[in-house]
Amino acid sequence: MIRRKGLDICLLGFLALSVGCIPMAETTLSPGSPDDLPACYAIFPAGPWESVYKIEAIMAGGVSSSLLGVTRGEPSERSLHSLLLTPEGFILFDAELREGRIAVQKAVTPFDSPAFARGLMEDVTLLFLPPPGRPKTWGKEADGTRVCRWESPDGFRTEVRGSTDHGWRILRRDDRGEVTREVSLNGPFAQGLPFHLELRASKPASYRLRMTLLQPAP
Amino acid sequence: MERSRMKRFLFLSVPIVTGFLSAAAGPPQDWASLREASRNIRSVKGEFLQRRYLQILKEPLLSEGRFFFSTSGSLRWEYLRPLRSVMLQKGDSLQLYHFSEGVWKPEMTQAVESRRMVLAEISQWFQGRFDESKAFTHLYSPGPPARVILTPKEGINRFIHRIEIVLSARPGVIDRVEIEEPGGSRTSIEFRNMEINSSLPSEIFEKP
Repeated sequence: MIRRKGLDICLLGFLALSVGCIPMAETTLSPGSPDDLPACYAIFPAGPWESVYKIEAIMAGGVSSSLLGVTRGEPSERSLHSLLLTPEGFILFDAELREGRIAVQKAVTPFDSPAFARGLMEDVTLLFLPPPGRPKTWGKEADGTRVCRWESPDGFRTEVRGSTDHGWRILRRDDRGEVTREVSLNGPFAQGLPFHLELRASKPASYRLRMTLLQPAP
Repeated sequence: MERSRMKRFLFLSVPIVTGFLSAAAGPPQDWASLREASRNIRSVKGEFLQRRYLQILKEPLLSEGRFFFSTSGSLRWEYLRPLRSVMLQKGDSLQLYHFSEGVWKPEMTQAVESRRMVLAEISQWFQGRFDESKAFTHLYSPGPPARVILTPKEGINRFIHRIEIVLSARPGVIDRVEIEEPGGSRTSIEFRNMEINSSLPSEIFEKP
C-alpha cells in the first residue's frame, strides 16, 4: 500500500520540479462590495469552450517534456473533458470530470494511476473553473490588487489576485495555509482563455507547466 | 503495457511507412511490385500536414512536419508546428528532442522503446516486406484515385478501425493517409514535396 502510494506520487510527479512550498501569507483586504463580485470570476471562461494548449512540463533536474493539452469545458455544469497528447497526436490520457467524479476514458502507462488522474483534473479545474460558491472574502489590498478568496469545507483555500495591468494569479492553499499551487495567467485572453499560463505545483509532487494557447473556440 | 506499445506503434508507423511506400513505387499492383520498386530506393524525404480529428474539438489539430529516411537505417521524423519536436534514429540509437526557449531539449518520455520498435518495423517494411504483416489485411483499389486499404486483424482493431492510403495520379506519390480509430477520432496526413534518392547529410540523423 505504501509502495503503491509512493508510486502514485511518483507518477503524479512525472512533472516533478523542486520548487518547494511557497510560503506566502494572506494579506489584509479592504472589503469589496457585492458589485465587485463579478470581477472574482472574470479570469475564468464564462460559457462553453474548448481549447488546445501547448504544454511544456518541467521536472526535477530540468528534464522536460512537450505535450498538447486539449480541454472542453462547460462552466454551468462544472464539467471538463481533458486530453493529453504527444506531439504526434497519440492520446496519453483522456478523462472527464462531471458532478465531481472523474471518469477516465483512456490512460497509458505511466498516466494510468488514479493519483495522476485526480491530480491532473484538479489542476485543470484550478486553471479553468472558478471555485464553487461565493468567495468568503473579497476586496483590494493597499496597492490596489484585487483579491478574492474561497474556502472549501476541507479547509483548502483558493485565492484569485491581480489586476488587468499586472496580470493575474491563482493560489491554492492547503489546510495548513501552505501554497500548493500557483498559477500565473497572462493575456491576451481569447474566449476567456489566457494566452499564457504557468502552473507551479509544490505538493505532493513538485513540477511546473508552461502553457501556450494554440487554438481557442467558443 | 504491450497494448499501449502497440497503439503507439500503429500511430507512428502508419503515416511514415505509407509515405515511404507511396514514394517508392507507382500505383501498387501488388505487394511484390512494391518490394521490387523499393530495391532502387536509397533515401526519401518529404513534408507532411497532419490533421488530428478529436471528438471533443470542433476543428482538427493541425501539425506540419518533414521526414528524412535513408536505407542505411536512419530516420528523422520532425514536427515543425505547433510543437517543434524531432525523433532521430540512426542504427540502434534513438533520440527524442523538443524545441523550447530557443534550444533543443532532450525529451523526457516513456515511449522510447515503443518508438524504437516502430522504427525497427519501418525498416523491415521499407524493404518491401509489407505482405509479411501479421497486423493488417490489405486491399488495392485502382480508383481513380488509386487506394490501398489496410484492415486490422483481431486485437489491433481495438485501436485502429481502418487505414486508407490515397495515391496521387503522379506515380510514386500519395495524396494522403486516413487513419480511423474506433470511437470516431481519426488522423489525416497529407504528404507533399516528396523526393527520392536525394543526398542526405548524415548529421540530419544525428543532430536535432
